[in-house]
Amino acid sequence: MNIQIAKTTAKRRPFLPPNFVRAMLAGHSALGLAFAALIYIVCLSGTIVVFMFELQRWEQPTSPLIFQPASTAAIGTVTQQGYAQAVKDKGGHDLTILGPSWRDPRLSVHYHDHETGVEGSWLADADGNLVSRIKAPWTHFITDLHIHLHLPNTWGLFLVGLTGVALLSSIVSGVLSHPRIFKDAFAFRWGGSRRLQEADLHNRLSVWGLPFHIAVSVTGALLGLSTLVVGVLALAAYDGDSERAFAEVLGPRPSADETAAPIPDLPAMIRSIQERKPDAVFANANIQHIGKAGQIASVGMSTPGHLAFANAYNFDGNGKLLGDNGVEEGSIGKQILGALQPVHFGWFGGMPVKLLYGILGLALSVVTYTGVTIWLARRRDAGRPAPHWERIWTAVGWGQPLAIAGSIITGLLTASDALILTTYLLLTLATLGLSIIMKGTSAVSWVFKTGTAVLLTFAASTHIALWSDKATDPMALYVNVAIVACVAGIILTLRQKPIN
Amino acid sequence: MTEATILHWAGALAAVIFLLAGLLVLRSRWANRKSGRYKVLAGWALIFAGFLIFSQVWSGELGTAFGLLAISAVAYALIAATVQRRTTGQRDRSDVALEPEQRPTNWPRAIGKSLLAIVLAGIASIGLGVAFAVSMPMDAPDRIVIGGILVPVLWGAGMAWTLSDPKLIRATIILVCLSAAGYGIAFLPKVLT
Repeated sequence: MNIQIAKTTAKRRPFLPPNFVRAMLAGHSALGLAFAALIYIVCLSGTIVVFMFELQRWEQPTSPLIFQPASTAAIGTVTQQGYAQAVKDKGGHDLTILGPSWRDPRLSVHYHDHETGVEGSWLADADGNLVSRIKAPWTHFITDLHIHLHLPNTWGLFLVGLTGVALLSSIVSGVLSHPRIFKDAFAFRWGGSRRLQEADLHNRLSVWGLPFHIAVSVTGALLGLSTLVVGVLALAAYDGDSERAFAEVLGPRPSADETAAPIPDLPAMIRSIQERKPDAVFANANIQHIGKAGQIASVGMSTPGHLAFANAYNFDGNGKLLGDNGVEEGSIGKQILGALQPVHFGWFGGMPVKLLYGILGLALSVVTYTGVTIWLARRRDAGRPAPHWERIWTAVGWGQPLAIAGSIITGLLTASDALILTTYLLLTLATLGLSIIMKGTSAVSWVFKTGTAVLLTFAASTHIALWSDKATDPMALYVNVAIVACVAGIILTLRQKPIN
Repeated sequence: MTEATILHWAGALAAVIFLLAGLLVLRSRWANRKSGRYKVLAGWALIFAGFLIFSQVWSGELGTAFGLLAISAVAYALIAATVQRRTTGQRDRSDVALEPEQRPTNWPRAIGKSLLAIVLAGIASIGLGVAFAVSMPMDAPDRIVIGGILVPVLWGAGMAWTLSDPKLIRATIILVCLSAAGYGIAFLPKVLT
């Protein structure tokens, strides 16, 4: 009998002690409240940036599309013409060529001179001839918002990295404060009490999205903090020289020899790689200190079955192979390095993976949003409502989509980086200001949802008016259809009856 | 459509069916605790089989990533398909969740906690990550990349712990000791040479 009672007691003992769970919940709440707005902005913009290449094509739907690997002759031509254009623009220091691939079926060349600050990007046709400058200012805006929040580069990167750490920390404390993680794994109850409904939504989306949430937070934090970490590493082991520390993982760096030299023969390099790896396809090339004796050419070649987009083969100024970066078949550290960016942005399995990343990214934004609404609802249930914070948080949740939608219209009409950012900031401030004046969370939510739907409709209409008779890229249609689908989704949420 | 594409899509479909079957079995077990424990094993075995198919059709590297994405998507779909509608005000005992610990707080304490979680946990995790990158017996790219990954992981864990631990002094002492150990190991070779 005693044994039976002991067994029953042991069975009923919770996996996580209640006091531990309550302490974790307190920490989870504090962390979520401190970083919620930042996490939300980074997640929402990141969800959009997954489709960066599609959005670039939408903004410039007259780009030549190439649905096969670029020929070596075309790569030779685009290198020559890209370098000539870079010299003409006084930006001929580093040159990057992106070949057409399943990721982006366009051939493009990009140059940058960190001393003069000059940079340029051009599209090329299938023969490698430059045809037009790349113009995708809104995609540039949203990508910069995600990567460094439009702050000075180093500080912005660090803040986004810290946001990734806070997200990871929230995941850890969230899992540890969920004693019924298995029992409730599939329970989703809609209606009744708003707090319980939001709690179910928050918990189900977060538990089943865990692999994605962990992957994007760890990779995002690492990408954001890499400069700081490598800086400390350089102090410890490389006499403070961060370039040397980066070279250990990223491959050889160019020497300081500035003597004029012929530009690298990329077609010959590609052929030499393909002799050893016949299934390798040209993905990209990066030439540092182009046209100088100390130049280094890194030719990225892609083979199937890997997360890394391309493995870089490094050649010196004389065309001698120095080795490869090993991101496809090298040691574990090199393979992780190659997988960081594809895993963070969902650029490893074509459109199906991008769509799943879009859904999971949106889910993570919803998890962040509902985290704060649960805290606010809990305060209300406890008789300590915070109506002003409820309205402000609603303004963050629905004001950000509205501000982003407004910035799209400015991007299409003006193509000005400064005006796009100004529109976004003004709309963000306006939504926050309005939420303070307005009465009732439901009214705030309704106004901003409606505003977002109207602005998105106007954005799609503007794009159609500007491009309908000129667009040659079907992506123009696909993205406009996606925008209309977003509007339909927002209208559906407007029809939903508010609950207590 | 090429033969390889057909094989990929057929493989993906088969893998998703296995994942769905596995999740359905787990759902049935977790919804009813009295049903047999073997169901848990069967559920996870079916999910493992789904991952195996993904890995066979693509590669271990890509297949695992596809499997992890697919299991999230299939679980979301399953939850959406089995949503339970509640009427206003309806609650049962299982709805009641634990409340967070109520702690007395003030501005100095909140600032102290923030400094611990953001600054000191960050300093300690960077120290430990760099110590790993400097001293582990591995190739340089491996120890640098793994040491780099350790930084956000340790920082995140440290942040979660310091924010949930009510004893500030204890957290401070442990984080200071970890920082000293990390930077000691990281900079010792430089000091000795």
